[in-house]
Amino acid sequence: MENESRVQEILKRRGLDVTPVDNFTEADVPEPTERFTKLINIYYLMKNTVDMEIPYWYNRFWWENEGDVPVIRRAKAYGAALSRHTPTIWPGEKLVMNKTKNWRGAFPFPWVDASFFNAAAEALMNEVDAPPEAAADAVSIVGAGGGNVTQSYGNVVSIAKKFGMRKEEIPCLVKVSKYWDNGSVESVSDRYSKLVPEFKKWKAYRDSVLIMFDSWAIPQGREVINYYMPLQYGFDRIIELCDEKIAETLGEAGDDGILGMSRGYYYTAMKETAKGMSHWAENYAKRAAYLAGLESDPIQKKEYEEIADVMHNVAHKKPASFREALQMTFLCHLGVVNEDPQSGQSIGRLGQVLQPFYAKDLADGTTTEEEVIELLELYRLKITSIECFASSGVTGGVLSGNTFNNLSMGGLNYDGLTAVTPLEYLIVEAGMRARTPQPTLSVLYDEKTPEDFLMKCARCCKLGMGYPAWMNNQGGMNYMLRQYHDEGMNIYDARAWCLGGCLESSPGCFQPLEYNGRVWMIPGGAAPTAGTGIHFTGLPKLLELVLTNGVDKRTGIKVFEPHNKKLETFEEVWEVWMSWMRELLEVSNKINNIQMDVWRKINPPVVQSLLKADCFKKGQHIGDCGARYNGSINFESCGTINFINSMASLKKNVYDDKKYTIEEMTDALMDNFGFKTAFETGVFSPDRREATENASKYEQIFYDCVNAPKYGNADPYADSILKDYEDRMLPEMLRLRSYYGKQYYMCQISVSTHGPQGAITLATSDGRLAGTTYADGSMSPAPTTDKNGIYAVFESATCYDHAMCQNSQMNVKIHPTAVKGINGTKKLLDVIRAYMRKGGFHVQFNITSSQTLRTAQQKPDDYRDLMVRVAGFTQYWCEIGKPIQDEVIYRTEYDA
Amino acid sequence: MKHNDCANFLNLDCEKGMCALTKGIVPLDGEGSDACPQFREGFHCANCKNFSEPDKYGIGTCSGFEKENWTYAQNGAFCCEHYLQK
Repeated sequence: MENESRVQEILKRRGLDVTPVDNFTEADVPEPTERFTKLINIYYLMKNTVDMEIPYWYNRFWWENEGDVPVIRRAKAYGAALSRHTPTIWPGEKLVMNKTKNWRGAFPFPWVDASFFNAAAEALMNEVDAPPEAAADAVSIVGAGGGNVTQSYGNVVSIAKKFGMRKEEIPCLVKVSKYWDNGSVESVSDRYSKLVPEFKKWKAYRDSVLIMFDSWAIPQGREVINYYMPLQYGFDRIIELCDEKIAETLGEAGDDGILGMSRGYYYTAMKETAKGMSHWAENYAKRAAYLAGLESDPIQKKEYEEIADVMHNVAHKKPASFREALQMTFLCHLGVVNEDPQSGQSIGRLGQVLQPFYAKDLADGTTTEEEVIELLELYRLKITSIECFASSGVTGGVLSGNTFNNLSMGGLNYDGLTAVTPLEYLIVEAGMRARTPQPTLSVLYDEKTPEDFLMKCARCCKLGMGYPAWMNNQGGMNYMLRQYHDEGMNIYDARAWCLGGCLESSPGCFQPLEYNGRVWMIPGGAAPTAGTGIHFTGLPKLLELVLTNGVDKRTGIKVFEPHNKKLETFEEVWEVWMSWMRELLEVSNKINNIQMDVWRKINPPVVQSLLKADCFKKGQHIGDCGARYNGSINFESCGTINFINSMASLKKNVYDDKKYTIEEMTDALMDNFGFKTAFETGVFSPDRREATENASKYEQIFYDCVNAPKYGNADPYADSILKDYEDRMLPEMLRLRSYYGKQYYMCQISVSTHGPQGAITLATSDGRLAGTTYADGSMSPAPTTDKNGIYAVFESATCYDHAMCQNSQMNVKIHPTAVKGINGTKKLLDVIRAYMRKGGFHVQFNITSSQTLRTAQQKPDDYRDLMVRVAGFTQYWCEIGKPIQDEVIYRTEYDA
Repeated sequence: MKHNDCANFLNLDCEKGMCALTKGIVPLDGEGSDACPQFREGFHCANCKNFSEPDKYGIGTCSGFEKENWTYAQNGAFCCEHYLQK
């Protein structure tokens, strides 16, 4: 502190401004508003709930419009569902609307996936037919798991180990699902996938969990919404525009013999969609008026009446205030997330989109900063309440129950200047006061970003919620220009990029919003999902198969034809690994293409196709390349660092030092170095090892594997293998073609799959034991293997050009004492800046102590509101599975 | 009658809701789930004149729309344009 004061004194004497740009500590954060506190205390009591209202109405109108053009039939069905399900408004709300009638509500999408329900139909009906339990038994199972309904009880049936459904709704679920038995996206795509000659190979990949995700399961998401159309026009005008376009295009092909005629059908579908969205909003207006009629408290009555006014305006007109604009964006957000099972439907740069409305209200004196912060706090709660219904494997194993609604801030504006707006300061402020997992916040770090904004964001980071995450704006722009160059990406659109989902860099564009007498260039999404493709390939698992000659020892499945090579050189290991990776890519790409092609043909997205930039202009939906950029399909990997470290160990121990033969190494791995597996110990991180009688046999080889060179230590021995991996993979991506006919790219995030994919992987030659969770992300060191400090980790991570890929991911755990106070904030920002300047794409922090997490694992009920950063998202600790909890606890913790 | 059959009921989740009049959280099952004297019939297909012949699971016929179809008793009908309270 003394040195710091002397430096300040010297700077002052020289006439330099030494005023702190953000003179607050983490202790200076005000409490959230009373309104937010009351509502979140109810939220904490909520169970995840699925009901059948939306599926019922969707199906009914789907049936009644049999024979119609698919995109129109879909729009009519979805519009009918939005128009008729029950709107719920709770006392104290200002911002309203929910996915369903329930708070943490969701619903099944049997038109996407029916087999899950049809397979369980008999069991579900048996639960309905079972005699009622005694009243004493008909109570909730309360305990670990927060809002998760992991078991059936009383009149509640557990679905996918996460949601509860009332017994009286089960017969409707069974009846609706049965219709889709042969017609869902899943079943139709499965039918055609089986015709692919290599289908059996793909099935072996899936059955061995070498890959673990079907694209149809979450066909949308990992993309950025575009709010321009409703903000610019309002729904009444959009409906008029559709009529004008229908008159202009119906029956006209223009010069396009393939898609020209579809424009008329597109605009007809968009009209149905806009009507559905408008009705939905109007229903909330009616509901608010109805509740106002019941209300005896004059304050609450007035609030209901205000909601009625806002919702009526949102239903018809372009927004005329910040509150209406925020409500409009939320309506659109829900409209999109309700049309398909999805996660990672990102909000985009909301603080830049809504700045015109905020600025006007503030100038007019019709609102205050505190009122806006309150609305933003309520917005956080609304976004946190968005649930996704998918199978338990997807919900838990991939998503950890999160829906990844990411809000990006910063970056550059249309003119190439900092895009940070005054509203974005309030978004961060609301994120500090109202601590909820969503929306997670992301800073697009640029050297032009104002220092006080960066300091405020760093201060927010220190509060332990895991947000904001930090992304490299210039790196993101460079990636955009490389990947989308052939589709016309220019510097202006590159500036509009932001995060879709956790960390999926997504293309955007600026559009001219006319508001308050001037034109504002607002950013928004301009591409389809980046959430589908060849997803979650366990890189260490593939290496395991190389060593076992193609056979998965866990299941006995022959995953690859035997290579029958002696693996006499390190290069030979690479060659086999790459040849199988190439095969996996080619085969999986075919299946993915079929899955997503069937989706776009029989289940085209309609709300997204209304909103996404250029669809309306072209008259084409998302499936027909309506969006401006379509090269958004990717390859996602998992376990990068365990793979790199394992390769480093093989190189060192087998090929360079020749301490062991490849057979001896493989034998040690098959026998888990003489230890019990994670499933035997129940601990999924390597911080507890229980020896078996064989331990002594492998003592030396285990020691050598643990002590082999590791990524994260600025050691070129390991880091050069990482660079080699990146260099070998890139050409493979450029060779593949997605169902949009565009090249692939690498997406290097793990989400939560490092848990289940670690679980099915035997011991690895980096010393990781069988079944333990992989290292998270793609740039995080394997826990406790980084011995040279955080800057050495940065050195290792930036051994290749991150801008060649969609992303990279690094999680860092810091003890709160290491960044305490204002100087601590500066230190944290210095760390972030150092990584960004080296070209790192992404870094995020868990600023919490491992001891707190261990205690919370033992006493989850005492830590209901504790949050941690898992991968590219923050989640309530008590709603995360144990394998991931163990991994987060065991991550390297940096202290003072 | 139960709380969730009432027009003053606000859904919360699969096991509880809220009373719009008292603002209190009310259970759907077991003790305390019976409606109070201020009960008013809620908006469900079961309470609609166009709903008929429910089976033992509550699945019956809706004749309110141009095309007749099935529906289920507990389906919410607040926003149904053809809802007619019995």
